[in-house]
Amino acid sequence: MSIQSCVTIINEWDIVAARQLGRNVAKELGFGTVDQARITTAISELARNIYLYAGKGQICIDKLYEDGKAGLRINAADNGPGISDIRQVMEDGFSTSGGLGAGLPGVKRLMDQFEIESSPGNGTQIKATKWLR
Amino acid sequence: MDFREMMESKYRELLENYIKEQSEQALYAGQKFSRKTIEQKISPEEIVSLHKSLLIEMYPDVPEKVINSFDILLEVMIGYGLAYREHQSLRHKQEELRSEMEIAANVQQTLLGTKVPVINGLDIGAISVPAKHMNGDYYHFVHDENNCISVAIADVIGKGIPAALCMSMIKYSMDSLPENRMGPSSILENLNRVVEQNVDPSMFITMFYGMYDPATNILSYASAGHEPGIYYNAEKKEFTELSARGLLLGVEKRTKYKEYKKEILPGDMVILMSDGVTECRTDEGFIERETLLGYINKYIHLSAQEIVNRIFKELEKLQHFQLRDDFTLIILKRDV
Amino acid sequence: MNISIDVKEKDTAIELTVSGEIDAYTAPKLRETLFPLSEENGVNMVVDLSGVSYMDSTGLGVFVGVFKNVRANDGQFKIVGLSERLQRLFEITGLADIININSQIEGGV
Repeated sequence: MSIQSCVTIINEWDIVAARQLGRNVAKELGFGTVDQARITTAISELARNIYLYAGKGQICIDKLYEDGKAGLRINAADNGPGISDIRQVMEDGFSTSGGLGAGLPGVKRLMDQFEIESSPGNGTQIKATKWLR
Repeated sequence: MDFREMMESKYRELLENYIKEQSEQALYAGQKFSRKTIEQKISPEEIVSLHKSLLIEMYPDVPEKVINSFDILLEVMIGYGLAYREHQSLRHKQEELRSEMEIAANVQQTLLGTKVPVINGLDIGAISVPAKHMNGDYYHFVHDENNCISVAIADVIGKGIPAALCMSMIKYSMDSLPENRMGPSSILENLNRVVEQNVDPSMFITMFYGMYDPATNILSYASAGHEPGIYYNAEKKEFTELSARGLLLGVEKRTKYKEYKKEILPGDMVILMSDGVTECRTDEGFIERETLLGYINKYIHLSAQEIVNRIFKELEKLQHFQLRDDFTLIILKRDV
Repeated sequence: MNISIDVKEKDTAIELTVSGEIDAYTAPKLRETLFPLSEENGVNMVVDLSGVSYMDSTGLGVFVGVFKNVRANDGQFKIVGLSERLQRLFEITGLADIININSQIEGGV
């Protein structure tokens, strides 16, 4: 079962809206302050990637209930140029060297599960989940 | 009690102590605490959050403004925490690379291994030490069926892995040279063609090739842009340059190499080296050839192997044990 | 350790003044600057190394590469201002026989 709400990312203010949405949902689910901050940081990173590289996209937040566990899933999707070498962007030190923030490896570290699908011309779809302990 | 609970009570204690009396001792306890939490991979944002919640619990009258300010600190520390974990993971990767390099260096050693020949009347010493893991210098001895001793010393322009890979190719092509007796100049001409065809155009190799015939005591040699060797005349106690002209291997397809001959008398020495020896830099600048000759003179009474070992130790010390370049030194000494 | 490379370009004439140390760390910068210039057709390249205090074999590799490029594109390549030590390096490696090196900076003897 999942309940979804979304924010469209076009400009930098939308990043804040996405963060706010994520924080509200995280609070509702009962995440502590540290995990709330981790989730919002992950949302920031993903939203910023959309804003900087795709120009336009969407961040959706799902509440998940599975096997008696509650969780929060960030869905980031865009129709931007896509990524040709996913392995490279998932490497530590690749995207962070220019001071661009935590990058995708950072998002992966902040969350419990991380899935990415992308290819040139088909945009990028990322799903990142954190479970309530 | 799990670590997090222990951490909480410990941090509460630290905080209480310090707020009571601002002593250096309490601060030192804080430093020790951080060592434990780093070890347990506790992220900075967790510490901030712990600090905030303990503060609310222990001092309910702390103004809300102060409490709220920790949210900003927490947000900022998340970034630092991520950077720290990335650093840890990169360090781990570096460790992996390092051990891979060590294995590669061992493979190279086996691949390029050569035995210093033992023959009557000629004392041979050789040492080759890489500046990093992989050696871009190379030496090779052949003791052929005519009882001639051939020695090759080579240096790839460039250092590290690319140089080492290139060297392996040279070794392979030297092993595949026809068995029939070839002089130093035709060997260099052959290798030049191989290097010119197969190696990256900005990669070059210098090589000195010498062939000593114990029957005639003549050393025939040729050089492909290699650092000149030194000839020691025992009778006159005099060092002279073993000059030979010739272009680097791999620059021009049809390069010809001139062959030179030198008679080696009892007690005479031939000293061959890579530019890691002459380009060895100290605080005062480069070592001069005189310095090197000074060391040779100092140890001249020893065996050839002892001389090269001692000279390496001296030059290593001069450079404060940091080699800038691969180092190779070979001495051939005719017995008296 | 650093190098500075000054480029003066007028039609096909290119004058480069290099100063500092050329070693494994600075050679890539030298290569990046020189290689694209060396691939232009019929270029007349003069490299002044009088400000270079140290050069190791990596630097030599760059100049050989540049020389080959220039020659392949029907250009001229000349190195001037070599110190005694650098001159010796070019002589030992046999490069002095194929590359025009001139120890005088302008209008050498």
